[in-house]
Amino acid sequence: MENDLTRRDAIKLGAAATVAATLGIGESIGVAAQSAAARFFTAAEFALVDELSEMIIPTDPHSPGARAAKVAAYIDARLAEAFDPKDKTTWREGLAVVEKISKEMNAKPFMKSSSDERLAVLTRMAQNESKPLKPEELFFVELKARVVHAYYTSEIGIKQEMEYKGNGYLNEFVGTDVTPK
Amino acid sequence: MNLIRLLQGTPQPPVDLKRTYDAIVIGSGAAGGMAAHVLTSQGMKVLMLEAGKKLEIEKELKSTEWPFEHPRRGDMPPDRHALTLNEYTIRQPPYAADSKYSKVHSYVQGWSGSDYSKNIVVDEKEHPYSGTNYAWVRARCLGGKTNIWGRLALRLSDFDFKAKTRDGYGEDWPISYTDIEPYYDRVDRYLGISGVKENLPHLPDSIFQRPTRLAAAEVTLRNSLKKMNRVLTPYRAGVTTDGLKHNKYRTRCFGRGACSRRAGGCDIHAAFDSPTGLIYPAMDTGNLTLRTNAIAREILVDTNTGKARGVSFVDSDSGQTYEALGKVVVVAASTLESARLLLLSKSSAHPNGIGNSSNHVGHNFCEHVMGPGVTGLVKDRIGKPKTIDDGRPGGFYVPRFRNLSDKNPNFIRGYGFEGIAGSRMFPDNARETPGFGAQYKKTVRDYSGAYIEMGGFGEVLSRYENQMELDPVLKDKWGIPVLRFNFKFGDNEKKMCEDMAASAQEMFEAAGFEIVNVNRRILTEGWSIHELGTARMGTDPKTSVLNQFQQSHDVKNLFVVDGSSHVSASCQNPTWTIMALAWRSCDYLASEFQKGNL
Repeated sequence: MENDLTRRDAIKLGAAATVAATLGIGESIGVAAQSAAARFFTAAEFALVDELSEMIIPTDPHSPGARAAKVAAYIDARLAEAFDPKDKTTWREGLAVVEKISKEMNAKPFMKSSSDERLAVLTRMAQNESKPLKPEELFFVELKARVVHAYYTSEIGIKQEMEYKGNGYLNEFVGTDVTPK
Repeated sequence: MNLIRLLQGTPQPPVDLKRTYDAIVIGSGAAGGMAAHVLTSQGMKVLMLEAGKKLEIEKELKSTEWPFEHPRRGDMPPDRHALTLNEYTIRQPPYAADSKYSKVHSYVQGWSGSDYSKNIVVDEKEHPYSGTNYAWVRARCLGGKTNIWGRLALRLSDFDFKAKTRDGYGEDWPISYTDIEPYYDRVDRYLGISGVKENLPHLPDSIFQRPTRLAAAEVTLRNSLKKMNRVLTPYRAGVTTDGLKHNKYRTRCFGRGACSRRAGGCDIHAAFDSPTGLIYPAMDTGNLTLRTNAIAREILVDTNTGKARGVSFVDSDSGQTYEALGKVVVVAASTLESARLLLLSKSSAHPNGIGNSSNHVGHNFCEHVMGPGVTGLVKDRIGKPKTIDDGRPGGFYVPRFRNLSDKNPNFIRGYGFEGIAGSRMFPDNARETPGFGAQYKKTVRDYSGAYIEMGGFGEVLSRYENQMELDPVLKDKWGIPVLRFNFKFGDNEKKMCEDMAASAQEMFEAAGFEIVNVNRRILTEGWSIHELGTARMGTDPKTSVLNQFQQSHDVKNLFVVDGSSHVSASCQNPTWTIMALAWRSCDYLASEFQKGNL
């Protein structure tokens, strides 16, 4: 059993590395390492989710972004064990829609597109966020919700990005004491 | 061994079913725990029956675990489902019928950190109910809902106890504030409460320990409200902030900041819970025997005297039925479960259910209406350094201001607000902020600590026609008939809720906050988890179930000491009143018992 898992992971690792190398993206090593644990996404899907998550919450001078926080791996783990099969379908179909739009707009797969082209795809997906109607708009809302939850519950999200100082020992409460003097 | 003893009370002998206990207490929440404490400390031999199991609560709550240390960031396993507002609205109970999920829970399990409370609350599949829409939150385990309660600990006043005298509606309570005040004081001292004195006649002060502090925007609102002759006070938390020398099971609050992260729960036991606050100390007297997994099925009656002689209970694991004998029966199973048990206890002496000659058991049901509220943006807090605003048991409370000296033309009684401002672990604005990318990330960061919000809790009038009864067909997992609800908010609640939303907006605008959202939607009946009044007290046995000592008018050795005894809901959270009343009644019970009057 343990051997099986190891072998399966090795196959996936190999597949992801191949995809990443083919696409020639800079983060190929990081993507391959993360997708080693992927259980629901295919290697290509994982790379796509990883890139979309980083576009939604990027690394900036203040803190690392969704990729460093391993957001795609967390989403993957949750989808792998999802009880409602609809969750899985939503994502499989949603990611296919991203590729379809990418081909429509840029005539190439999302991960082979330039960063400007990728931005154009995501911008189109996000354009009706408050009232999504089209499949890509509906998927953006789902994608962003999962990315946001995964990022802001990660160690990077809580401690570095939000600089949360709680969950420790406070000798005195923080704030203003309004006891009448 | 010593450690186990310290955490869980002195080990007790198992239940002896041949023995007649001085008293049997049914339920181990705030009311049952208090009954056990008061009776055992006066030397009575008490058997406590709890329907659920005894959890190793520290293994459940894990209050200081970070989200990223948990495989699902605190969420329940995927085969469990929490009911949503939509389900409560568009479907009819029993809500879990035909669900494909392995276990279904009430809406509180939809909050973050639900994995930590999943064994405290019931599985709706095992515990169905029927009738009108109702969001019923139940906990079956030692301590009941006190393991996850919201901790706001408020007193009632004669504005509540004598409300009928003031506005003509309903019934006055058979007690005045002066009757209960010494018992509020005892509860404060014995269990610990945090707050600030405000000298309000309609919200009497407690004997407070160290108060929590206010976030910057909360101070702004407090100062602004003063000009409107209204009050914002730090959350009056049923939490010991200075520690309790007489209780070795509890620790003073050290503001570690997990209080808003999940459906309650404090595993340092700074927040009151019944096991560490009341039951373990009661076990240490040597006078308390605890029987968990014991679902009370019926109060047994002596056919010669018509008095209660004991309780028959079902073992929740084996399904076997047993009888326990007691000279006095104290019901404290929660407002709705207590009414259910009285109705289940039919006999030739009590054909409508024990203690129900008035036909008022299950009637006059009341609670708090919730939903309307407001969210504001505090512009001068945008981009400010993060503060630890959730490192405290609660934010603030705005006491009732309607129908005190004035008379509102549209509704009677009143409402208060609970609220909080500032930063917390998860930035809620991340869900609402549109867009993506670097600008999105910066906006979330800069604005996350700049919001303030509050929501109302309004008095639902007690009405005879708002009632629950036994469903003639539907049964729970153990074959016991379940409750059928016939309960709807009325016109007074709807008018009050309109005013709640409008006044919340008015107060935020006056404080200079930018209004982000005004919520006007009324949440499903039951949402407040403050159910009250199904076996009310009163002076007239024809229109009430219990006397002022929560003693049955019909059966003098039967007491019902939980929220079911409340005559009206007021708008203040009920737990502190439940415990003060139970203390007072059990003092009386012990005294009558010693005189041989029961």
